[in-house]
Amino acid sequence: MSASQSAVRSRAEAVQVSRTFDWMILFTLFTAVLGGYHIHYMLTGGDWDFWTDWKDRRLWVTVAPIVSITFPAAVQACLWWRYRLPIGATISVVALMVGEWINRYMNFWGWTYFPVNICFPSNLLPGAIVLDVILMLGNSMTLTAVLGGLAYGLLFYPGNWPVIAPLHVPVEYNGMMMTLADLQGYHYVRTGTPEYIRMVEKGTLRTFGKDVAPVSAFFSGFVSIIIYFLWHFFGRWFAKTDFIADDAS
Amino acid sequence: MAATTESVKADAAEAPLLNQKNLWAGITLYLVFYSFIRWYEGVYGWSAGLDSFAPEFETYWMNMLYIEIVIEVLLFAGINGYIWKTRDRKVMSITPREELRRHFTHWTWLVCYGWAIYWGASYFTEQDGTWHQTIVRDTDFTPSHIIEFYLSYPIYIITGSAAFMYAKTRLPTYHEGLHLMYLIAVIGPFMILPNVGLNEWGHTFWFMEELFVAPLHYGFVFFGWAALAIMGVVNTEVMAIAKLLKKDLA
Repeated sequence: MSASQSAVRSRAEAVQVSRTFDWMILFTLFTAVLGGYHIHYMLTGGDWDFWTDWKDRRLWVTVAPIVSITFPAAVQACLWWRYRLPIGATISVVALMVGEWINRYMNFWGWTYFPVNICFPSNLLPGAIVLDVILMLGNSMTLTAVLGGLAYGLLFYPGNWPVIAPLHVPVEYNGMMMTLADLQGYHYVRTGTPEYIRMVEKGTLRTFGKDVAPVSAFFSGFVSIIIYFLWHFFGRWFAKTDFIADDAS
Repeated sequence: MAATTESVKADAAEAPLLNQKNLWAGITLYLVFYSFIRWYEGVYGWSAGLDSFAPEFETYWMNMLYIEIVIEVLLFAGINGYIWKTRDRKVMSITPREELRRHFTHWTWLVCYGWAIYWGASYFTEQDGTWHQTIVRDTDFTPSHIIEFYLSYPIYIITGSAAFMYAKTRLPTYHEGLHLMYLIAVIGPFMILPNVGLNEWGHTFWFMEELFVAPLHYGFVFFGWAALAIMGVVNTEVMAIAKLLKKDLA
């Protein structure tokens, strides 16, 4: 074997090989990130993401961005800092949402018969695009964390507003005032998740009236900044190429 | 001229760098198998999977559990045993072209691993959410768990360990030691399976309720993070492949 011998026989073959690897790498990265991100997100913010009657103005707005900025920050740390690809956040969120939409349709609807308009996933794309754009233009982890993290939290509610607004209109039902989303929850019974463990609109923040969602979004943005920093370094660590000693070799 | 003709003949006889049939067969195998499983769940989940004390539950679900566990143990031992038994003992002596060919085969395994992780960690795990939030469970071995925990997780464990074993036994890149992120990318998701013990133990306290964001589930979250270690594997592979492609062309 010659140290300078090439594995390919022409530049055209080299290009073809390189492109083929690109697709195989992209597919593997997409599906592996999808799996890891999805299991993380569904078990840290899932209940708010599953059901419209959990999608309130307080905890959904607070929790979803905080727990979902994790994988985008980590994948950015690899794709941008190693390959100058400004798509880490977007590709993570697209992967997550592909997994979620398939599931909501095939299983929430297809197996347990909840209509898709009670169990559609939250929209995380606007925040992810902004994260990537800020990183691309600023080329700064700190700027992306502070400005991007804050924007990620602030954009979540407006990004979902057109979808959730029709379900937040008030209705009177058997003498009680509730939202249309609450009514969906009452009608489509989840036997395993009774009403008393639903975490929505807790505490006195509700007395702020119309300010609840903006205050929650602002707090969410603040925590998202911190989480971004943390997960950026997680991402760098996971991107390492170190070997550990192998006695057998 | 004669030498050129010989060379062309040799090229024609040579195995392709990427065996596309294997790649597509792998992807299709998971897709077709899991489509069948999903059909099975749809039919027998409701008709035979609601009462674990019913005879039909034993017929359609417990028997499935017993069969799948036996097959998985055999597959794990068979595939990894075969890859180990047929290992290349002179891995540092292979030609660059053969090394490139093996990288393609390795990536066929990794594509299947990613695909298997999708089905296990995304498709069947969130599916478990809607099943258990809808149905009141009366056993640890529910129809959803028999598929999620004891079928889809072992399948990605088998696939991941086979990919790791292939890389370790056939690629010079991984000959110098144990690749830390590769280990994490395989062992982390593997640890989700033992973590089922914690999950089921906890659910014996909170048998009826299914709050998906409950701290009881955070073990799955922690080990799910390990999927990010695939980035370390990608980085190592990109460096190795670039090195092979950037050498002087013949």
